[in-house]
Amino acid sequence: MTIQQVVFAVLAVAVIGAALFVVTTGNLFRGALMLILVFFGMAGFYVLLDNGLFAVAQVMIYIGAISILIIFAVMLTRGMQAMIPRNAQATGAAVAAAALFVAIFLAFGPLRLTVDFSAVPVLSALFRTETARTLGDVPWQYANQPVPETYIADFGRALVNINQYLLPFLLIAFLVDAVLAGAVHLARQRKPAELIAERREIAEEEAEEAAALRGAASPEPLPQGAMAATTTQDH
Amino acid sequence: MDVISNLLKILSDFVADLIRSILGFSPFLADLVTMGLAAVVLITFAALSFMGLTYVERKVVARIQDRVGPNQAGPFGLLQPLADGIKMFTKEDTTPASADRWVYNLAPLVIAVFALASFAVIPLAPGVVGTDLNVGVFYLLAIGSGSIIAILMAGWGSNNKYALLGAFRTVAQLVGYEVPMLLNIIAVVLIAGSMSLIDIINHQTLADGNPGIPHIVYLPLAALVFLISGIAETARSPFDLLEAESEIVAGFHVEYSGMKFALFFLGEYVNALAVSLVFTVLFLGGYAGPILPPYVWMLLKAAVVIFIFMWLRGTLPRVRIDQMHALNWKFLVPMSTVNLILVMIAVKLFPTSEAAARAFGGILVTPAAQALILFTLNIIVLLVSLSLASRAARKQRLAEAELLERRRAANMAAVAP
Repeated sequence: MTIQQVVFAVLAVAVIGAALFVVTTGNLFRGALMLILVFFGMAGFYVLLDNGLFAVAQVMIYIGAISILIIFAVMLTRGMQAMIPRNAQATGAAVAAAALFVAIFLAFGPLRLTVDFSAVPVLSALFRTETARTLGDVPWQYANQPVPETYIADFGRALVNINQYLLPFLLIAFLVDAVLAGAVHLARQRKPAELIAERREIAEEEAEEAAALRGAASPEPLPQGAMAATTTQDH
Repeated sequence: MDVISNLLKILSDFVADLIRSILGFSPFLADLVTMGLAAVVLITFAALSFMGLTYVERKVVARIQDRVGPNQAGPFGLLQPLADGIKMFTKEDTTPASADRWVYNLAPLVIAVFALASFAVIPLAPGVVGTDLNVGVFYLLAIGSGSIIAILMAGWGSNNKYALLGAFRTVAQLVGYEVPMLLNIIAVVLIAGSMSLIDIINHQTLADGNPGIPHIVYLPLAALVFLISGIAETARSPFDLLEAESEIVAGFHVEYSGMKFALFFLGEYVNALAVSLVFTVLFLGGYAGPILPPYVWMLLKAAVVIFIFMWLRGTLPRVRIDQMHALNWKFLVPMSTVNLILVMIAVKLFPTSEAAARAFGGILVTPAAQALILFTLNIIVLLVSLSLASRAARKQRLAEAELLERRRAANMAAVAP
């Protein structure tokens, strides 16, 4: 067993354990922390694949940004510590995950289950192949040579090459710009009149919702104080 | 002379030889042991400098504030860090009853790990580096985001309102100041043409090993913004509002005591040391320098940067949270962005390497000429943004004064019959 295999085994056990914890725990904050451990493990896999750039990018983006966003969302949810979260999708998710695992095992495991791709129009279009008859035989582009020394520069050039990934790259840049503009718009300094109008709108919406909820039980209108109470709440 | 200047390298080679040949380990095992030893040495270096820095900081700040500082323990109070350490060890280790035990107890460990992890890529002398990553600079930034997680763990795990408030402030500050830091590091990477810290130092060194033009001459503005955001990233005064004892008691580490508190303290100082070392590498030419051995130069330059940190801490008052955000998002980020775009254009227009000149056109210039062009650009950007900011501030002040005046007039009118 080489050192790479040992490291892979350790990482795999850590990642699978942490991932199981994430989906089974009732404590959302701890779940988020374990999700970070999963992300770290994935970065470790990138290191094993000799790609330091993606490993570091994984840490930077998934741990430095997305995890913090998740943790913030968890923290800002009211009654987090007293809550017992329930998940109605647990069974469905478990079945889907098990089915996916079985499919992967059948295709790539020792059985190498055969699927006639050319017979299924969607698959033949998707993989652009008539010859592949086994899911495991799909001509995936494996890295069968070591990562070149200049992979960072190559990666950068591929992003700005019009024949490669220029369009998605520009689309992402556009998306990020739009998000930034939206954030600035949401956080801008508002005039008092605007704020009052906004609050009134929210209060009216809430009153309508409450009325709709109540409407099923009793058709009588809301008491006078209800609207005032909702306006002074957390908005 | 050669022996002294390469002392660290010779020592490490000797130890590696010893393990490989004399102890008769297999190459794999020998590598593992050597790596482990290197990690232990680096961590010890960081921990020892933490002890030294607490003493130096207290002395320096005391002198600035016209006090004496620690002077009771040993000669000149030199044994003060030791006394502090003993005090920390003997303190009771408390855990709040309603804390999330696992998260609460893990947080100091995580913060110390992430603080120490940055030393893996910082070169201290030629050939003396944990590992020369070709994405070294990026790695440092990524590691920095890990400590944010640790602070959130501490703030949430303590189950204390002040701790949570401090953690929120910390995250807002650290995430925010990562942006200008990143933008200015990109400028340096553009000029050096590499993300490896060793290549960045080599770019500031002449072919014969003598120091060349340091990047602070190319990019004075980037160096300034990096320094400011570095102070903010390490949460040092004047950006220490996340542990403002007068507002939120002590922020995220209010519940910690004893050695757990000491680990937070260690994280803070080790981060400051790492930022000053990185500043030295990125802008001051790293270990390049005449006469003295390289590791001495490295530490000397870093010491100057750390002294600036302490100097600022001793003189500046703490900023408010809105000032902190306004400085970052309304001043540093736009200025750095404009500066980065201009640097990009200038580097493409005036390349120093023939290959780049052939590939993209542009005028081939010497490094000195490129430095001069970039220096001028940086200074122009700085002056323009400063004048814009001062004009905006003046407008705001005038508007506020007018509002006050109008209110006073209205009050007078109301009082008068």
